[in-house]
Amino acid sequence: MIHFDNVSKVYANQNRPALDHVSVDVDKGEFVFLVGPSGSGKSTFLRLVLKEERPNSGAIHVAGKDLSRLSNFKVPHLRRRIGCVFQDFRLLPNKNVYENVAFALEVIGKPRRFIRKVVPEVIELVGLEGKAHRMPDELSGGEQQRVAMARAFVNRPMILLADEPTGNIDPATSIGIMKVLDRINRTGTTVLMATHDAAIVDSMRKRVVELEDGKIVRDQSRGVYGQAY
Amino acid sequence: MRANFIFSEVWIGLRRNLTMTIAVIVTVAVGMALLGIGLMINSQVSSMTSYWTDKVELSVFLCKKDDVFPSCKSKPPLNDEQKAALKQTIAGMPEVERVDFEDQAQAYKNFQEQQGNSLLLSVVQPDDLPESFRVKLKDPNNATAVTESITGQAGVSNIVNQRQILDTYFGFLGKLRNMALGVAILMVFAATLLIGNTVRLSAYNRRRETGIMRLVGASNIYIQLPFVMEGVIAGLIGGVFAAVLLIVTKILLFEGIQTYMAIPLGWNTVAGVITFTMAVGVVICVLASFITLRRYLRV
Repeated sequence: MIHFDNVSKVYANQNRPALDHVSVDVDKGEFVFLVGPSGSGKSTFLRLVLKEERPNSGAIHVAGKDLSRLSNFKVPHLRRRIGCVFQDFRLLPNKNVYENVAFALEVIGKPRRFIRKVVPEVIELVGLEGKAHRMPDELSGGEQQRVAMARAFVNRPMILLADEPTGNIDPATSIGIMKVLDRINRTGTTVLMATHDAAIVDSMRKRVVELEDGKIVRDQSRGVYGQAY
Repeated sequence: MRANFIFSEVWIGLRRNLTMTIAVIVTVAVGMALLGIGLMINSQVSSMTSYWTDKVELSVFLCKKDDVFPSCKSKPPLNDEQKAALKQTIAGMPEVERVDFEDQAQAYKNFQEQQGNSLLLSVVQPDDLPESFRVKLKDPNNATAVTESITGQAGVSNIVNQRQILDTYFGFLGKLRNMALGVAILMVFAATLLIGNTVRLSAYNRRRETGIMRLVGASNIYIQLPFVMEGVIAGLIGGVFAAVLLIVTKILLFEGIQTYMAIPLGWNTVAGVITFTMAVGVVICVLASFITLRRYLRV
């Protein structure tokens, strides 16, 4: 599903590579934690998957597509197959829960009838039934992140990328968020989650890929956050 | 493509940037109106030039009795035979197509028709006006050669090339046109910058939306279209104002001076000019929006 082959990325005006000859394979339906300290290259990894950045060397395949051969105007189609969740939720403050989720489908031109059918289903999947008409500022952080997850998942992507989704949320609420991610993973969606949250990684017992200074220092199935420390 | 989605986005964008939008509309309107006026003057000049080129003549004025022109001093006016001989000489020149004699009575009649000044009309008598030959040239550009060879002839007081009078007039119109076009270019330049700024503000205001659109895989055209449409709508409204200005100009200005122009400015010329300026306005808006978007809305 995601295949990195000897990928390096150096940002302009920086000597140290953000990713240094990284090779990794993520299969369909896997749940992978991407861990490591700040600046270790986790976000760069996710950005490369989305083709928001281009690698300096190496090959990246996502959902069977060679990203270096993917023309710019086909990038949106790639992104339709990838859902994204961020630490800061990125909801539209002037739209309610339903509209925020529906927005993701409206802008890719889905018919209204389809939107009316699937949006309530997804809102229920993330556990926000009955809150469809709340505005984002009337929701707790955990609930806002659920909205973001609903929006990321509403188009049934093959891959869900989560960049520190629990970074702004207290530990108790984080468990709920992880349950939703697990539920999404069980539908067959590959989940790739970058995180600092040791407790969550330890409790989930999923595959862990650890980055340090742009290199993979550990790739372990059913791993924990910081075994080496 | 969901049209109502695009239009609601466009409407929101225009409303949020109301002052900038008004600035764009005004600049586009003034710029396009000036461009249109320039084009209208231009079409007027060229149609008048071709009309008058066929009609210009050299007027060869003959000495009257006690004429003040130096070439007539202390010489009696030509008698009929001499006039006939002179006419022969002029008609014999290879550049000349036709020569007509205009006597004092005819000159007075023409003077009465052309002159609106009643005081002047009441003092001028037929005897005050000189007789003349109206010389029609095969090619009006050869006027100088003909003028030079006639100037030496006895009994000729002076020669007026109507072309020179027209040239002064067309020269004035040409300057007016150049000024209008020059200011129009400046306004178009200003409009381009303003549209660029408006689109940039719009892109900044909606960076959350566009960021999410990008993320969920909205196609580039879907993301960019609302911004381009903002430019197009502002341009179109500006174009409509420009059209109104052009129509007003046509009615107030061109019809006011129509009496001096042989060929009035037709409504279909005005319609053509309006269509053209509208198209130019919209194209400029689209280009300015696209160029700005490429810089400020990375896709």
